[in-house]
Amino acid sequence: MTKDSTKTDTIIRAGSVPAMPRRAALALGLGAGAAAVGARPARAQGQTVKVALLAPMSGPWARQGQMMRLGADMAIDEINQSGGVRALGGAQMELVVFDAGDSTEKAKNAAQRMVAQHPDLVGGTGAWLSSFTLAVTEVTERAEIPWMTLSYSDAITNRGFRYVFQMSPTADDQASKALPTILNLAKAATGKQPTTIGLIAGNDASAVSFMRPIRETELAKHHLRAVVDETYTPPLSDATSIVQRVRNGRPEFLLCITSNVPDTKLLMDKFAEYRLGGDRLPKVGNGGALGAPELGEVVGANIIQGLMGIVANWGGKGQEELAQRFTARTGEPWLNQDSLMTYADMMILREATERAGVADRRKVADQIRAFDLTDGVALLSPGGRLKFDEKGRRVGAELVIIQWQSGRAVSVFPPSVATHTAIWPST
Amino acid sequence: MSDPQILVENILNALTAGILIGCIYGLMCVGLGLIFGVMRVVNFAQGDFLMLGMYAAYYLFTGWGLLNFLGPYAGPLLAAMLAGPIVFAGGVLLHRFIISRVSGLRTTASLDEGHFGQLIVTLGVSLILQNGGLIVFGSSPRSVRTPLSSSAWVIETPFYDSLIFLNKARLLSSVVAIAVAIILYVMLERTRLGRSLRAAADNPTAATYAGVDVDRAHRIAFGLGSGITAVAGGLIATYISYSPFAGLDFVIIMYAGVVLGGMGSILGAFWGGLTVGFVQQFSGLILPPQLQNAAIFVVFLLILVLRPQGFFGRSAERA
Repeated sequence: MTKDSTKTDTIIRAGSVPAMPRRAALALGLGAGAAAVGARPARAQGQTVKVALLAPMSGPWARQGQMMRLGADMAIDEINQSGGVRALGGAQMELVVFDAGDSTEKAKNAAQRMVAQHPDLVGGTGAWLSSFTLAVTEVTERAEIPWMTLSYSDAITNRGFRYVFQMSPTADDQASKALPTILNLAKAATGKQPTTIGLIAGNDASAVSFMRPIRETELAKHHLRAVVDETYTPPLSDATSIVQRVRNGRPEFLLCITSNVPDTKLLMDKFAEYRLGGDRLPKVGNGGALGAPELGEVVGANIIQGLMGIVANWGGKGQEELAQRFTARTGEPWLNQDSLMTYADMMILREATERAGVADRRKVADQIRAFDLTDGVALLSPGGRLKFDEKGRRVGAELVIIQWQSGRAVSVFPPSVATHTAIWPST
Repeated sequence: MSDPQILVENILNALTAGILIGCIYGLMCVGLGLIFGVMRVVNFAQGDFLMLGMYAAYYLFTGWGLLNFLGPYAGPLLAAMLAGPIVFAGGVLLHRFIISRVSGLRTTASLDEGHFGQLIVTLGVSLILQNGGLIVFGSSPRSVRTPLSSSAWVIETPFYDSLIFLNKARLLSSVVAIAVAIILYVMLERTRLGRSLRAAADNPTAATYAGVDVDRAHRIAFGLGSGITAVAGGLIATYISYSPFAGLDFVIIMYAGVVLGGMGSILGAFWGGLTVGFVQQFSGLILPPQLQNAAIFVVFLLILVLRPQGFFGRSAERA
């Protein structure tokens, strides 16, 4: 059971305690107060710094929203336990959570509700799916709320918005960086560069954005011929016809861009059934859902072995201690993209508020725009630099490649994050 | 692979996949068809009964492991079948306390025959089941863990050395689906209970005068319809992963199948489901995958234009 999965539109504040008798509370409060006076700077009376998480908490992407919430909750707790926002006298950070639901309309409605109910927000993050983020940021931009996002679509930061900050490498960027990396892996394992490729992708915003440059320029640039090129509408009802076409075309490797666990399972099972498992046909996808622990559970370690995924961040090398804290706290087997990036977003909002010295969303946004950090919160992202360009895209955002090996999703690229060596079938 | 080999293999695999998936869709549609046929209730929660069947099978086999001793082949199939009685009981209770208030004899005199109330109530039940499912089952996708889903019996054909891949999970599931549909058909045609259900369906008022307890018949029909769809859900659970919102993906297929077969016809519902499976697979031969479901509705509209009552429609009889 996920006790918290549907508690949306709620406020989380670390340190909240269950109800207790008034006398006991008074005694405890006095004691705690006396201790706090000596230990910390005086906290501004009742001041809180409110930040938002707007993500799917229901519907097919609820699990991704839950993963984001785990990261956000952990960050908020750690911030508050370490003294809150010191520049504001130790003001506590509050997280408000809104459910983006299962459609862009619901996501946009949630954003409008969020803006109306919490006029004092200093920033937020969301909404996982690029299509949702496109809708949500229409609202947050008008309200001038600095909005962090892990979504990939280039369109998110192609609209001239000033308050959107994209932490991931954009889909275009991923497309141009991914193919050379994958081809190098193939060449190292087989001794020759692949010449044929298969393309399978959903028609959601992120996948469309990722596949467009691949189809238009990248294939020709790398002398690759697409022998299969299929687009489907998620969720998939059945994968037989798609996999049959892959069998007909026999590509040397496959870009398989799915956005959710059920579609990935259907495809992986069907590939195994058609004798196109990981030992015969290397497959590369993208998106955080490819590293979800439950994917291994529902597909099975032997079927998913070798599947690679392009993600924007991963709890790999350099994040061991954070990953350990996360797994101990949540029981999740590893720190994945969605939790880590939401954790980082909260830390960035706190850092910006510290520097602004005031809980004012516009000033917080100014501070984020002015960032050029290579330490502290910057180290939570691959590339190790926190600076945004005029569009709101993180400068030097690197992609990370993960791979399923022995039932676990592990990082295999870049070397600064990789904990394992990539496997590529040699035949 | 040569071009003729590709063509033959594509057609044969689309044909077999269409039959296998169509049989499971057929069973799914039978559940909805039974509820509509007997009670004239348009049940928007039917997809969620399918989802409950999936979770019942999951907990019986993978979650609690009660049927693990049967192994990865028989265990998931028995779990799917046992999902039926579990959801049947839930359906009976739901009818007893909620659905009966907006259906049956008490609404026959009302102007809309209770349809507006039924739409709102079943929609509300659907929302409660989905969000209740999210609280109880969680948001992580689940699946009934079995090697059946990723393995196939491969048949080598003499036609250009083409291969037919018979997915084990789907083949065994379709056999179970056909068996359950036949049992239901025999029960409706040959037993006293079946006769009372048919009497309550044909003319509730006359059935009452003939001594049939129409409320009880409706309750059993609702339970059976829910339970049969749950069995289909349990069978589907052997080859997909799902969350509490999974039913939504199948509701449209169910309605398409039932309308194609003819509203009110149990046999027609099965054929309707089978047709949907066929169209879905065959359209994949010539259309891009993103148009597969669109193809279902093109055929659906064509059949409605050419034969508005569906394959086995009973509208003329009832009129």
